[in-house]
Amino acid sequence: MKNFRYIGKEAPRPDSADKAAGKAHYIHDLQRPGMLYGKIKFSEHPHARIKHIDTSKAERLAGVRAVITANNTPEIRFGFLRDNLALKKDKVRQYRDEIAAVAAIDPDIAEEAIDLIEVEYEPLPGLFSPEEAMKKGAPLIHDTDVQGRPRTDNLLSLQFHHESGNLGDGKRASEYLIEREYSTPLVQQSCLGTAGCIAEFDMNNNLTIWAKTQIPFLAQRDFNRALSDMGLQGKNSRVIVPTLGGGFGSGLDTHAYEYIAILLAFQTGRPVKIVYNREEEFAYLSPRQSTQSRIAQGCDRNGKLTFREVEVLQDNGAYTSWGATYPSVMMLPATSLYRVSNIYFNARLVYTNNTYCQAMRGYGNPELNWALESNMDELAEEAGIDPFEFRMINCNEPGETTPMGLKVSTCGLKECLESVAQKLDWKKKHKKSNLRGVGMASLIHVGGGGRIYRSDASGLILKLDDFGNVYAYHGGVEMGQGLHSVLTLAIAEALGVRPENVFINPTDTGTCPWDIGTHASRGAFMACNTAILAANKLRDKIFELAEEVFPKEVEKNLKKFREKNPGYNPPEFDFKKEAKSDCFELQDGFIFIKKGPREAWLRLELARLLRAVHFRNQGQMLTAEVFYDPPNVLPDFEKGFGNISATYAYGTQGAEVEVDVETGEIRILHLVAAHDVGKVLNPLALKGQIYGALAQGVGYALYEELQSQQGKIMNPNFRDYKIPTALDMDFPIDLEFIETDDSFGPFGAKGVAEPGLVPTAPAIANAIFDAVGVRIRDLPITPQKVLVALNKLKQSQETPRRKRVNKGT
Amino acid sequence: MKTEISFQLNGEEVTVMAEAHYRLIDLLRGPLGLTGTKEGCGEGECGACTVIVNGRAVNSCLYPALEIEGKSVTTIEGLLGPRNRPSILQQGFIDHGAIQCGFCTPGMIMSAKALLDSNPEPSEEEIREALLGNLCRCTGYVQIVEAVKKAANELKRMS
Amino acid sequence: MIRFKYHKPRSLDEACKLKEKLPDARFIAGGTDLMVNIRKGELRPPALVSLRSIPGLCKIEIDEVTSIGALSTISDLIQNQMLPDKFPVLVQAAKRLGSVQIRNVATIGGNLCNSSPCADMALPLLVLEAKVKLQADHQSRVIPLSEFFVGPGKTRLAANEIMTEIILESPQKKTKTIFLKKGRVKMDLAIASVSVLLEMDGKKCRKVRIAAGSVGPVPMRLYKVEAMLEGATLSKELLDEAQKLAAESVNPITDVRASEEYRRQIIGVFVKRGIEKILGRNEP
Repeated sequence: MKNFRYIGKEAPRPDSADKAAGKAHYIHDLQRPGMLYGKIKFSEHPHARIKHIDTSKAERLAGVRAVITANNTPEIRFGFLRDNLALKKDKVRQYRDEIAAVAAIDPDIAEEAIDLIEVEYEPLPGLFSPEEAMKKGAPLIHDTDVQGRPRTDNLLSLQFHHESGNLGDGKRASEYLIEREYSTPLVQQSCLGTAGCIAEFDMNNNLTIWAKTQIPFLAQRDFNRALSDMGLQGKNSRVIVPTLGGGFGSGLDTHAYEYIAILLAFQTGRPVKIVYNREEEFAYLSPRQSTQSRIAQGCDRNGKLTFREVEVLQDNGAYTSWGATYPSVMMLPATSLYRVSNIYFNARLVYTNNTYCQAMRGYGNPELNWALESNMDELAEEAGIDPFEFRMINCNEPGETTPMGLKVSTCGLKECLESVAQKLDWKKKHKKSNLRGVGMASLIHVGGGGRIYRSDASGLILKLDDFGNVYAYHGGVEMGQGLHSVLTLAIAEALGVRPENVFINPTDTGTCPWDIGTHASRGAFMACNTAILAANKLRDKIFELAEEVFPKEVEKNLKKFREKNPGYNPPEFDFKKEAKSDCFELQDGFIFIKKGPREAWLRLELARLLRAVHFRNQGQMLTAEVFYDPPNVLPDFEKGFGNISATYAYGTQGAEVEVDVETGEIRILHLVAAHDVGKVLNPLALKGQIYGALAQGVGYALYEELQSQQGKIMNPNFRDYKIPTALDMDFPIDLEFIETDDSFGPFGAKGVAEPGLVPTAPAIANAIFDAVGVRIRDLPITPQKVLVALNKLKQSQETPRRKRVNKGT
Repeated sequence: MKTEISFQLNGEEVTVMAEAHYRLIDLLRGPLGLTGTKEGCGEGECGACTVIVNGRAVNSCLYPALEIEGKSVTTIEGLLGPRNRPSILQQGFIDHGAIQCGFCTPGMIMSAKALLDSNPEPSEEEIREALLGNLCRCTGYVQIVEAVKKAANELKRMS
Repeated sequence: MIRFKYHKPRSLDEACKLKEKLPDARFIAGGTDLMVNIRKGELRPPALVSLRSIPGLCKIEIDEVTSIGALSTISDLIQNQMLPDKFPVLVQAAKRLGSVQIRNVATIGGNLCNSSPCADMALPLLVLEAKVKLQADHQSRVIPLSEFFVGPGKTRLAANEIMTEIILESPQKKTKTIFLKKGRVKMDLAIASVSVLLEMDGKKCRKVRIAAGSVGPVPMRLYKVEAMLEGATLSKELLDEAQKLAAESVNPITDVRASEEYRRQIIGVFVKRGIEKILGRNEP
């Protein structure tokens, strides 16, 4: 691997000093002159007709500047299937449906006004599980589709399907077979900084919106469409992304509150801010989808996987976000985690009157990985094979093309598995019945972008000033993950300047080139690839200009140097002759001749070159722009085929746990995370990413569940929605980074943002099984569930029945 | 109806008008313009709003504004040294990768400061205990705990 | 949004008079629960009467009889020089209450007067057979804590009455105590908690007091279990019986935090475990 100057070395983030000083400005901190505060009135029923809305009292409250409902505003449709309305007109389909909103001169008055709005409902029967919603004759949550055609059931029309090989053949070839069902709960992203925006119109009726978003450019498209719906055809929206207090997928859609802020701002002619409080964030923002999966897998007597059958049922909630496309990612592990042929995958999504869901870190992968990697252990147990060996037998390898058509350029899965086994002391600790157990689970995820849209591209503009500083305009979103940290290092490395001379501009659709959005662990992969391309372009220009400027300026250098050092004899080197564009090198802001002697005078400060070419007749300033679309393809999701990403990230995590058999309590003793990251870009940032993801994985495994009863969120606060604290994460964690130096990856790197939480839960569940012999198949693994399972195990006291496959049936 | 209240804020006397239902965080982020203190939950569960009152870390979202009369308050803005220099503790957070989205950071640093002020050589467990009321969704706490440890060492070396 | 007036009386007398004038007002001590409840709209008091400016309510006096001012914060208890030696279980429970930030503000009196089934401080005080002093208009009365709780959020306090002190007799030298709490994560309201006080006479149990939290409308003593154990030899079999009885004698509910059955199970285990830990027996 190449030696890098900045890449791969620990570097503090450029934004961390401001954050440590309380000087970073989040949406909560932003003010605009004359700004009003918006607040939303949400539904009090999960499914009901709206009979009447009385806003008169709210309108009369002093300090209120606008009260809006669907009755006095234009209809704005939005969402992945455009099945959602900014303000609901005739019907509510979930508890959180937006019915009315106010804008007032302060947040207290806005809240008081909301309490004065009276709504009369006619309750309708609700559907609170996919099973209920799929029953024949179940009431329809949406009577018509977005084109107005009548719907006949509550199933979404989206298709996610894959079949390859021959399932029957696979089953017949199976010596051992396991079929089980698994489920995952609603989980909230739990960004510490809640959602919010400020919408403001200028007098040309163009919109500026400061939004907590991960998709500024798709949001611009959505908002422009909304402007059009509002009668403002041809008007534009500019999306500016302030410092984000976390994202984790919650910003991958536009939200009703944003459209409401836009409506209020237009109505009042003043900037309007809406920021959710914590309860609103939990109850009225979309969480991770809940899923149920059925997995059947088989293997032969040598432990080779023979087939895999996966069926997923996803509770979509009342409306459809991008999160409905989780199965597009589920296909990856279903078809391509471990080598298996003879595959069936199908996912169905169902409307219910539950809260509608959206993206969260991992995007379907943690949900299915939970089922798959639990099932892998169950199959290994059935076959009497060590789960580590079982995974090694079926391990993916570099160069393979998987049944989904994924082209595996590099793959460090084997190394990851071995690393985890070694760090966990697997051989010694596995299968020791001492209430302690070890478990592992692996993952595959997109690591080189993820094409789920016509374009998977990302742009970068680099602009140089007179002082050798580089300004970067990039459409990716820094939400805490460290994108700007690696982009800074990548530009410094690729161009040859010092990181402190690189400035990343705020993400702004008005200044930055288009980017599909910060999802699919693509941020660093895309940004650094654009950095390399743009730096090359810029450097070519610099070196071309240096042919003329370098000899002149270096001549001056030499003269000065000689004045200071009278006896100096310069080495024999004809720098005038050697000053050719392909002979230069730029490092730390100085231009050198590659093969020239490293004399102090024999170099040119980039800033001097820039000034020399700027301040002359027909002078020029330097910029470079690139637009990079990675070599991947938009899969056919109905057939489940296509190389969705340029490269794939692999990893294995291991857990050692101890189970208290009287209380069911699970204590994590040790976690190991080994990830194929391609190349470590900034170890400090990378470790932070994985540590943080592990905490989310632990939360997913043991604590987190947004509890919904008849569609109502019962625990919309940190008092009852528990995420791990510093004391819950007090066990040793080993991180292992496998560097596979991927040829598509910038500096060899792959995406790593999501993988860290994908296999944590099954690794823990597998360790629990190893410790006490109980298998929990629905997340989270609460002590209560463990106790119930332990009691069942005690009662049965019989070894689990072996289900052998009869050959030939 | 507003009441006038005076207290010491980051070493300086301030006087400000407060409504009876205001909380300390409303004063800080509102009329006093100190937005470094963050509101993450408004119910004392997340600790993003942590400030130090009379030497003890408190949730400013649960602290009635009118109770602050005559007391001494330190916020994240009060930690900055002269010439725009971060304090050793802040520098520890910067250097050891303890910051990601940064929303929990000011509160986290204030909790850590209150700890180190009273216990200059805390064990890892004591650090985790002191940060129990500060939720972080990004970092998994590992580098935060390291940062506090390193800052404690650095402070000891300097003294 | 709830607007309210905020009063800061400077004496008990003034506080009681204010409360008489404003019957719907609420007293506020640390406010860590009250401020949340108001914010959520669960309480809508027109005024708050703060007890924080009344001098003398946060004194801790440790002697044959110990008096803890009701306005003492949880951190005051932890940081007190003598309290940890004298009543280790109080400090043990204090350290499990909320976070540092909460402990720095929440008061022992507030924890009791909220009358929450999960009040962490209530359990050790119940097994220590604490008494509480309630005062109104120069009149005061002292009642056992075990009689203080009436129901969730309901106590024996009259509308204008203020808890001023918690009073504890010194325990016997050989008295041992423990507090066990189960939360979902490390910072949590108890989903079940137990405190045990035990005095042994050789192998026999001379005195035992057991209290359980989050398993009934109020923090409760487990009298039946105490009766079963007192005077008996604490064999493993008997402790198993006690575990069963404890689980049966509580009356928990199922809510978002835990199920009824799980809470029962934990109470049983904690009663047995608490005693075993005090006796220095190995955990199972």
